[in-house]
Amino acid sequence: MNTVPRKGTKAKEPFVPELARLIDVIEETPGVRSFRVVFEDVAVMSAFSFAPGQIGLMGIPGVGESTFAISSPPSRRDYIQFSVMKTGFVTSAIHELEAGDAVAVRAPLGCGFPVDSWKGKNILIAGGGIGMAPLRSLLLHLLDRRDEFGGIRVFYGARTPADLCFAGDRAEWERRQDIDFIATVDRRQPGWSGRTGVVPDVLESERPPAQDTVAVACGPPVMIRYTLAALKRLGFSEDRVYTTLERKMKCGIGLCGRCNVGSKYVCTDGPVFSLADLGNEI
Amino acid sequence: MRFLREENIPLLLHRLSESATVWAPQVVRDTVNTVLFSPWLEGAEVETGLYSMLSAKELVLPATERLFSYRYSQAGGREKIEINADAPQEQAAIFAARACDAKGLAVMDALFLDRSGASYNDGQYRARRSGLTVITLACTTCDSACFCSSFEKGAAETAGSDIILYPATGGYLAEAVSKRGEELAALDLFRDSSLEKPELARTAKVELAGLGQRLFDIYDDLDFWRRTAEGCLSCGYCSYACPACHCFNIFDEAESDRTGGRFRCWDACMFYAYTQESSGNNPRPEPAHRYRNRLAHKFSYYPLNRGEILCTGCGRCIRGCPAGLDLRDAIRAVRAR
Amino acid sequence: MEDLISAIKKVLEQVDVVLGWARSEAAGVAAPAFFHTPAEAEGAIFDSTCVHNLAVHLPRLADKKAGIVAKGCDARSIAQLIAEGIIKRERVTVIGVACPGVIDVKKAWRCFGFGKRVSDSGGQVAMEGKTVKREEILLRKCRGCREAGPVIRDVTVGEVGKAPAAPADPAGIRKRFAAMSFAERRQFWQDQFSRCIRCYACREACPLCFCRDVCTMQAHEPGWSGGATNSSQSWMAQLVRISHMAGRCTGCEECERACPVGIPLMLLLEEQNAVVEELFGYRAGSGTEAKTPFLTFDVNNDSWEQER
Repeated sequence: MNTVPRKGTKAKEPFVPELARLIDVIEETPGVRSFRVVFEDVAVMSAFSFAPGQIGLMGIPGVGESTFAISSPPSRRDYIQFSVMKTGFVTSAIHELEAGDAVAVRAPLGCGFPVDSWKGKNILIAGGGIGMAPLRSLLLHLLDRRDEFGGIRVFYGARTPADLCFAGDRAEWERRQDIDFIATVDRRQPGWSGRTGVVPDVLESERPPAQDTVAVACGPPVMIRYTLAALKRLGFSEDRVYTTLERKMKCGIGLCGRCNVGSKYVCTDGPVFSLADLGNEI
Repeated sequence: MRFLREENIPLLLHRLSESATVWAPQVVRDTVNTVLFSPWLEGAEVETGLYSMLSAKELVLPATERLFSYRYSQAGGREKIEINADAPQEQAAIFAARACDAKGLAVMDALFLDRSGASYNDGQYRARRSGLTVITLACTTCDSACFCSSFEKGAAETAGSDIILYPATGGYLAEAVSKRGEELAALDLFRDSSLEKPELARTAKVELAGLGQRLFDIYDDLDFWRRTAEGCLSCGYCSYACPACHCFNIFDEAESDRTGGRFRCWDACMFYAYTQESSGNNPRPEPAHRYRNRLAHKFSYYPLNRGEILCTGCGRCIRGCPAGLDLRDAIRAVRAR
Repeated sequence: MEDLISAIKKVLEQVDVVLGWARSEAAGVAAPAFFHTPAEAEGAIFDSTCVHNLAVHLPRLADKKAGIVAKGCDARSIAQLIAEGIIKRERVTVIGVACPGVIDVKKAWRCFGFGKRVSDSGGQVAMEGKTVKREEILLRKCRGCREAGPVIRDVTVGEVGKAPAAPADPAGIRKRFAAMSFAERRQFWQDQFSRCIRCYACREACPLCFCRDVCTMQAHEPGWSGGATNSSQSWMAQLVRISHMAGRCTGCEECERACPVGIPLMLLLEEQNAVVEELFGYRAGSGTEAKTPFLTFDVNNDSWEQER
């Protein structure tokens, strides 16, 4: 290697992560944990700001890094939360971590939801499984600014009750009078008194009006596909439907090439897209 | 214009090698005609009659490079990570790059050194690029895989070069096209000349006009893409040989329990693993999806996003394809569709 | 060529696609071609530039019925693929061709320049007035050819029956390699693999390599071999691949031909093939019913010798 280490540099290279530490690990479901991280550098922490929907790469030097949606709202100034599903090599290693462990983070990256342009509109949120992570950030942000928006309806589905994330938040969302929150699971289960059926079906049976409404959908690829189709049938126009996409990412800055959907890069142009942005390429 | 006598070439290489690693096309020992750009050592023969199998891009984007090293330590009873970014400091010169190689560097410069973007400006790339002198050998002949004449300037392209050598009787006419090139041309190895530039090679052409839109139009025609890509073996040669392909992978490698580094290495969009997600989902599962993306990235997405075609017509992907595929056939097929 | 074209057309009546060769305008030599229609088959050729082993495509056409034009060496790969159960005998129709030996196209280009249309008749390879004796630029595998004809074939084009006569290999690198000490060999391979760029053309061009997308050389899990192009790792990764080829490699030389940086992979494979033949009396691709030593294990009888 014809390179020499540059000691103690503060000049930020795009691939050099910020050092951070876990202050809390929350078990959301058997396969999903939320990790609350704080940057070691106080100045970095206090300057950190982002928009809901933006992403970050969290990793363990020696293992690797992976891309996650930020699931905490921008109003949280004391930590950033990533909700991580254990699926592969890096996420399995992250799941081994405990509060107090060191991690390395590159965030925020990509584009978030254009919330400011939604002022005065009704908002419909449809989340599936771990896809609720960026939507949690969005929803908490909307609730922080509750009086700027019209009605807020949330559909959140998972395979089984045990697969629904954010139990504490859900109790709060169900209690609140100023939003309409519906949790659903794929099939009837003992001990589950809520709705059953997959999100697209529940959505269509509820027939939420499309007028003056922005819809946001995030979840596994199959759920997204059917939810977007359902929204189309309900009369939502393509520029009023947003989704956040997930692709394998490495660089996070539009260089390494793999995360493109057509001419758009999920890491820089996304992960938030309106259906109008995506055209036929989803 | 300046003139460099043939016998002064070794002297020039020697002079350059005093302050930089000089890379030149050379036939690899024990091979029939495998030409690669490799570090030139005193007395080594430079091969200018055959094209190198790989472009000059490894000088700015090495096949593998460390981005940073890390070290774990205990501090105050807690684990602490220390990260040190690598800063390449190598000075290098490339001799007898071709106009298509140099243009590839210019295309990548626009991406890796872009200061308009939020977080681009890749430090590793910048360091290597600023330490690189590009001495281009203009082509007066070509072979049937070459197709640089499909682009505006063809073999007369100067982007990415510092100095261009034009073959002439008894030596080379030298034209500096950058400040660094001017410094080089001012060396006493060169003398003034009033000779005319020779006529440059005119290669085969493939029509590129409207190709970007056409690629969008037939995006969904998967049967077409399956036919177009059916001979493709999904190896990474074309991407690795290409002067404009720049996709990479990032991964960590531990040296010990506590130390190691994060590396960047070439990656290729024709690999299945390139887009495979750990959930098992792969948005480009078939060679057809990958071939479509490869072509569209070069001739549609990148021109749309950045105004440049990610191809310089060097022909390497044609000359070296183990499956005998010709990119130009695919382009023609797209246009005819 | 007429015989070949009509054979392909005939086979096309029974199958979805026939793998063969057509002339590449750019390269002036043969390139693999997929014939779907009789009209396409008009472009079929067979000459000494038909170097590619088209059997590599058969496992990728799993759901289709395919015809394939095969030289003796290619047929060995097809037989081995069938013996291992990777492809089904009834899904492939083999058009065996009489092969005069194929040329090292890189050597031809060295003589003539890339893309010059090469013609080959009467043992002379020619282009634009220049000629070379074919035997001087034969691929190495053809020099030791033992194929009296394609071992598996449903249709035959041309006169098969004896292996092409070719002079012995002029040795060169192999002779030098044989004389090296182990330390020198180690250095030799370190040097060779320092050029490896991990394009995996060797793997993708190999008809018998079947892990492909989940190959240990590349899969990020378990991450046994990173993507770093460092000589030791690339060498190790290749040795893993090659050891998986024990008793399976038919010596078609495609990995070495595909290698863009000229690593002499066949040095390793030939050595291994010779060991397998000596120990087990087995040459990969001998027949569709052949039992491959390393794919044959009987818990009650772990001796290959007794199995035979």
